[in-house]
Amino acid sequence: MDPLSDIIIDIRGLTFRRGSRTIFDDISLRVPRGKVTAIMGPSGTGKTTLLKLIGGQLKPDGGQILLEGDNIPTLGRGDLFLVRERMGMLFQSGALFTDMSVFENVAFPIRVHTDLAEEMIRDIVLMKLQAVGLRGAAKLMPSELSGGMARRVALARAIALDPDIVMYDEPFTGQDPIAMGVLVNLIRRLNQALGHTSIIVSHDIKETLGIADYVYVVADGKVIAEGSPEQLASVDSEQVRQFMQGLPDGPVPFHYPAPDLMQELLQETP
Amino acid sequence: MLDWIQSLGHGALSRLATFGRAGQLLVQSLVARPAPLVMFPLLVKQLYFVGVLSLVIIVVSGAFIGMVLGLQGYTILVDYGSEQAVGQMVALSLVRELAPVVTALLFAGRAGSALTAEIGLMKATEQLAGLEMIGVDPLRRVIAPRFWAGFISMPILTVIFSVVGVWGGAIVAVDWLGIYDGSFWANMQQSVDFSEDVLNGVIKSIVFGAVVTWIAVFEGYDCVPTSEGISQATTRTVVFSSLAVLGLDFILTALMFGEL
Amino acid sequence: MRMRTMEIGVGFLMLAGAVALAVLALNISGLNLADQGGGYKVYARFENIGGLTARAKVAMSGVQIGEVTAIRLDPKFLVAEVEMRIRDDVDFLSTDSSAQILTAGLLGEQYIGITPGAEDVNLKDGDRIQDTQSALVLEDLVGKFLFNKVSE
Repeated sequence: MDPLSDIIIDIRGLTFRRGSRTIFDDISLRVPRGKVTAIMGPSGTGKTTLLKLIGGQLKPDGGQILLEGDNIPTLGRGDLFLVRERMGMLFQSGALFTDMSVFENVAFPIRVHTDLAEEMIRDIVLMKLQAVGLRGAAKLMPSELSGGMARRVALARAIALDPDIVMYDEPFTGQDPIAMGVLVNLIRRLNQALGHTSIIVSHDIKETLGIADYVYVVADGKVIAEGSPEQLASVDSEQVRQFMQGLPDGPVPFHYPAPDLMQELLQETP
Repeated sequence: MLDWIQSLGHGALSRLATFGRAGQLLVQSLVARPAPLVMFPLLVKQLYFVGVLSLVIIVVSGAFIGMVLGLQGYTILVDYGSEQAVGQMVALSLVRELAPVVTALLFAGRAGSALTAEIGLMKATEQLAGLEMIGVDPLRRVIAPRFWAGFISMPILTVIFSVVGVWGGAIVAVDWLGIYDGSFWANMQQSVDFSEDVLNGVIKSIVFGAVVTWIAVFEGYDCVPTSEGISQATTRTVVFSSLAVLGLDFILTALMFGEL
Repeated sequence: MRMRTMEIGVGFLMLAGAVALAVLALNISGLNLADQGGGYKVYARFENIGGLTARAKVAMSGVQIGEVTAIRLDPKFLVAEVEMRIRDDVDFLSTDSSAQILTAGLLGEQYIGITPGAEDVNLKDGDRIQDTQSALVLEDLVGKFLFNKVSE
């Protein structure tokens, strides 16, 4: 069965520039519903920017981002508010609100978007925290959490409203093996249990390929490869292979451009 | 030569752009206030951090400045045999000038820099972006309450500064230097006019409050979200606020007291 | 940070501010006189007003009965004209009262001292005090002194 048969987010011809740099040059991506989609590439290719574009925080210079027919960049305030109710985002640093407790952090999106009674909110928050294994930490403040725990709380907050789309911005970066394992496990399990669409932006090959259903490799503002993890392993492109295998030298050179070594050594100090 | 002109022009344009962004922030924060039910607890919290926690430094500074004024005033006036005028000298200096200006400068240093650092840190740790993704406008929820808190606290702190200062001056003049209690207060009451002096001082403090808080909040919101960026933004807040306060004070003084 | 503590703190701040404003109004700026409103206007011409300024006090036997509201130049008589406001309850100043510019202390403020006359009719709103004595000018005093010395 074609994994791209049921698309929830359709990005067409997206162009985005920051200053004089072109971050995305007419790229197209299709995110299948209910699956784990990974967007990978070398650092600095603007992967986080892509998530911000999908979430409506940034406006593209050209192209469309269609969420089931709605073009996100053109939505008004009210519609954007409703769309964001269906999205959850896990930021790279967790981005917990430091002046609120863990409980309040997870309850926040619920309070903003719904009018539920306090008892209901309490039940929902406790269940979300239970799902990430941190129900006992409900009364702690974010400053009292370790990095891994903070990310898990942020994840609980991201799924507080049972969104249709959950976006993960570099979730595995800088984590110790146990925390990493926990997170990988959580992402996969939640995806299966709750049936939402997951979009992971990462440059961690091993972890990401382990749980992704479909992968896009983005470099130099373009999609240079796409497919399931198995398909990607046999792609015939030096650039892709350098990235996937983590080779130090290749299309992305090891040496920063410099004059010839012998010449520079023999030169008198100016 | 041409390069220099070009960089000058570029610098001027980018300053203009910054000012434009600042103006945009101001308008958006003022116009888009959150619902009163949400706003009130946020406002109270900010009033506490910005106003109440500044009380100590304001009261202590006010007392010391008032005492110094009393002491210096006496030393200068006693040569002319006019030491009974100490009361009005202390009161007028405080109410017209020192209270609004010094309070504003202290406020910029203490509360202004704290606001900038806090907002800058929220930007750097992606909390502002997080709020946006959840669908909450950070301008309404984070910036607006802080702006109103600064705007409201400043006149209150200024008035407290004036009173504490006069009291300090009174202690020095009456209790220590032996000026007759009655003439100290009577002379003061004669020469300090409520609408001319007190109200003008309060108007100054309202203007300063708006400007200092605006600068503090903007620098935090606009900063480069790194630790170096935050520290630069904090410095800019203190420097620009201080300069703005002093400059505005001159303009306001000329307008209010110029004819006298 | 407990919400309750913060609310108490903010309440205290507001209260302190209100109290400070009240103190400023009553104790420091002597709001009473200025706001008793009314009062009637009286005019007087002086050759030299010395250091008299607006809001200077107007007193009789040392007791303040009003204040100077404006100082102008009279284009017809080519002297200074002082406008003052006297309290309504001081309505027993006869029309031949005299106004003199006095100094309080060596470097003190100048004020107007009113000495009552003997007429039956009293000053009303808009009346003019005819008998005035200008401020003492230091140079004139020195001149007078020298002149007296010379004629001895």
